Amino acid sequence: MTDQPQTAISAGPEAEPTVTTTTVPMWLIVGTLVLLFLSAWYFDLHGAWFHAKVYPPYTSWANVNEFQPGDGGPDPNKGRPLYESNCALCHNSDGSGKPGQAPPLAGSEWVVTTGVNRLIRIPQVGLTGPIKVKGQDYNNLPSMAGMGATYTDEQLADVLNYIRNSWGNKAPFVTPEQVKKVRTDLGGRSQPYTPDELMKLPE
Amino acid sequence: MRSSAIVFLAAFIALSASWAGFVLAPQLQLGRAPLEKSLGTETLYPVARPGLAAQGAEVYTALGCVYCHSQQVGQDGVRCDIVLSEPGTNVLATLAALRSVDENLGKPETLANLPKVIKTVATVAAADAIVKPLRETGAKAGVKIVPTGSDISRGWGRRRTVAQDYAYDLPVQLGTRRAGPDLADVGARQPDIEWHLRHLYDPKSEVKDSTMPPYRFLFEERPAGKSDPADVLALPAGAAPAGKEIVKTDAARALAAYLVSLRTTDVPLQEAPFTPPPAPPAAPATNSAAQ
Repeated sequence: MTDQPQTAISAGPEAEPTVTTTTVPMWLIVGTLVLLFLSAWYFDLHGAWFHAKVYPPYTSWANVNEFQPGDGGPDPNKGRPLYESNCALCHNSDGSGKPGQAPPLAGSEWVVTTGVNRLIRIPQVGLTGPIKVKGQDYNNLPSMAGMGATYTDEQLADVLNYIRNSWGNKAPFVTPEQVKKVRTDLGGRSQPYTPDELMKLPE
Repeated sequence: MRSSAIVFLAAFIALSASWAGFVLAPQLQLGRAPLEKSLGTETLYPVARPGLAAQGAEVYTALGCVYCHSQQVGQDGVRCDIVLSEPGTNVLATLAALRSVDENLGKPETLANLPKVIKTVATVAAADAIVKPLRETGAKAGVKIVPTGSDISRGWGRRRTVAQDYAYDLPVQLGTRRAGPDLADVGARQPDIEWHLRHLYDPKSEVKDSTMPPYRFLFEERPAGKSDPADVLALPAGAAPAGKEIVKTDAARALAAYLVSLRTTDVPLQEAPFTPPPAPPAAPATNSAAQ
């Protein structure tokens, strides 16, 4: 046997544990606060504050919303089938128009406009009378029929977006709301516009 | 003991704090959460399991499937792929738009073998910024949101699972062990009910290296030629004992109906967004929950 148990016994009465007050070391307090701060910081960055719909790997609700599928903005090609089956009969598939039938749309100052108030009226109720497009006079064309009753606001907006953004044309998108507004403005009008009449309207 | 009241109070506060944090708060937050529509549709997700599949959930619980199979898919990240599907008629304009994105993309090779992923970016906004000018040239391009992670690359689902997936599960059988594959999306991987029945009867006949025990007590051996052919399990020749045929019990049928009802594949949610495949195949004629 070694001395060890003996020392433990001999240390007996003197080593009676007593309760004394002692200060908590400063490094422990500082260390705990630093740990608390770091974990709170990490939680703030990754925890999304217990948001019910934020799961890893997303770190916040804003982060989740960065990955919601967008529609990529309006698609100018959406109106193409409608154009090909209606408008292209006279205006041609490449928007160059057909002699004796319809003026061109490609590069036309009637199509590529900033305001769309006049343009929207043309497919709605039609157009008749002599017209000047790209510096050329078209006098003896058949009048264009209105199609506002056949197609919805969305369809008309799609087809206008197609002609405004094809064959080298580039113009801002038309919204269905704009078409709807013009439809209301037209009231029940079914009489085709003449170019002169259109020019009197605000752009 | 002088401080017994303090000890009791401290223990009480500690226990009730953890109860409030682990039980009460999630119940208030998720237990009362309304069902949400899946992205891009008008249908609420999920719908309650129809009768047979609901019974199958009880068979699943009773057999302890949860001890070897989890029903939770994890996700490590998400990326956005830009998919070019058609170059459009104005190829030069498309190439010019591609070149403005990345010098290397503006080459004719990019337009070969479409549709394909031409670029991967971090967020949908960044992807939209690239897709928009592409579309304006007449090209057909889209953004594909792709969750990533080891579970997903194993083919266990297209996205992570979230609380809403379990809205009608009681108990929720998330599972903790994966002796077998995760089953959260098994109905999409294997929508064939007969496959599941054959697999339950003899796992090795369908998956060569399967370690799953056969669940033959879910089937009955009866003299051949006496049962309705619809009730008989179609097995390869020689698999059934001589002169006998294997007949499915209701429990087997219910369990298989439950397994094919487990699918998350075609349901993007706001909290777990992804782009589902463009043309989902026609839903199998099952009691699937996520139709």
